[in-house]
Amino acid sequence: MSTEAVSVVARRISAVPARTSSEAWHAIVELVSEPGSAARADLTSITSIAAILISEEYTREAPIVVMPATGPRIRIHTVHGMDSIDHLSEETPLYGARLAEPGWQVSLPCGTADLTAITADLAGIPAVTVRDTGEGFAAQPQPVVPAVAGSPVIDLAEMRRT
Amino acid sequence: MSTTVHADLYTHTATHVATGMLRGLRQIIRDTGLNLALFDGQWEVLERGTAAWLRSGHLTSLVLEVYDPGRPVGADLVDRFDFEIDYAYDNGDDGDLWLDGDAVGYAIRKKGSIPAWCTYRVVAQRTPGAPAVEGWASTTLRSTDGFTRRSTGTALGGGNIGANLSYYTRNT
Repeated sequence: MSTEAVSVVARRISAVPARTSSEAWHAIVELVSEPGSAARADLTSITSIAAILISEEYTREAPIVVMPATGPRIRIHTVHGMDSIDHLSEETPLYGARLAEPGWQVSLPCGTADLTAITADLAGIPAVTVRDTGEGFAAQPQPVVPAVAGSPVIDLAEMRRT
Repeated sequence: MSTTVHADLYTHTATHVATGMLRGLRQIIRDTGLNLALFDGQWEVLERGTAAWLRSGHLTSLVLEVYDPGRPVGADLVDRFDFEIDYAYDNGDDGDLWLDGDAVGYAIRKKGSIPAWCTYRVVAQRTPGAPAVEGWASTTLRSTDGFTRRSTGTALGGGNIGANLSYYTRNT
């Protein structure tokens, strides 16, 4: 078994019909970014595009992957249908691990039918990329962050199994 | 409290129908070869207005109007797709939220592709007193003289809100 020492935080955010798809994206942006930060401005600027991916439920099938410049990676799935209503009161904030520094990346999942159009829509925001829902997220090279004692070690190969 | 539960269910149903109709319009735009970027860039505004007017009960229909900018105004309508709202919808399914992707696919197959030079806009028809929503402006729909409206039936619904999808064909 091969392992990579990467810590991961997972969150689930209620989407349609508990929220509109745009409201769900705003909830995600508020979860991962600081008020007034460049990250919040950048992520807010792509609300329409990200909301489309949520409305199509690609983000239910595969996670939005948020990679801060330092700290653990954040995997966010959206919850849909009647489950989204039940889950609304169970959402958990992030304790740290937000996009406070430059150098962050976000990968959005997308179905094959929309991949070309959505990729073109996001061309102006290099920190945000789109990938096929069936693919994992390969981050751009980042500085190595020493693992903190007590951080979970995730077997990424195991996580990617379907 | 039961009144609160009812209000929440209505709001959730309205949200489901609003997002479902926009997904349907987006599918039509994508699969008929129209410029999708125009629609994608406006998604948040479209969703905000559609959801607000469904929740307030003022939305009567959501219309995709396709037109040829090279033709004179009044004679430029090329195609039109309508989601017409039914606030008395009841299919006896205990409030399940559903969307029939085949209904949208059927309308697209009946219409085929649309010339690449055509463009489009989304128009929300509302009853008087609808709340103002940022990003929307008043307009008048193009005339459908010379066209026949054809219904595919209810395409999505839930609770007491349904949306019937129609398309228009030019009379020969």
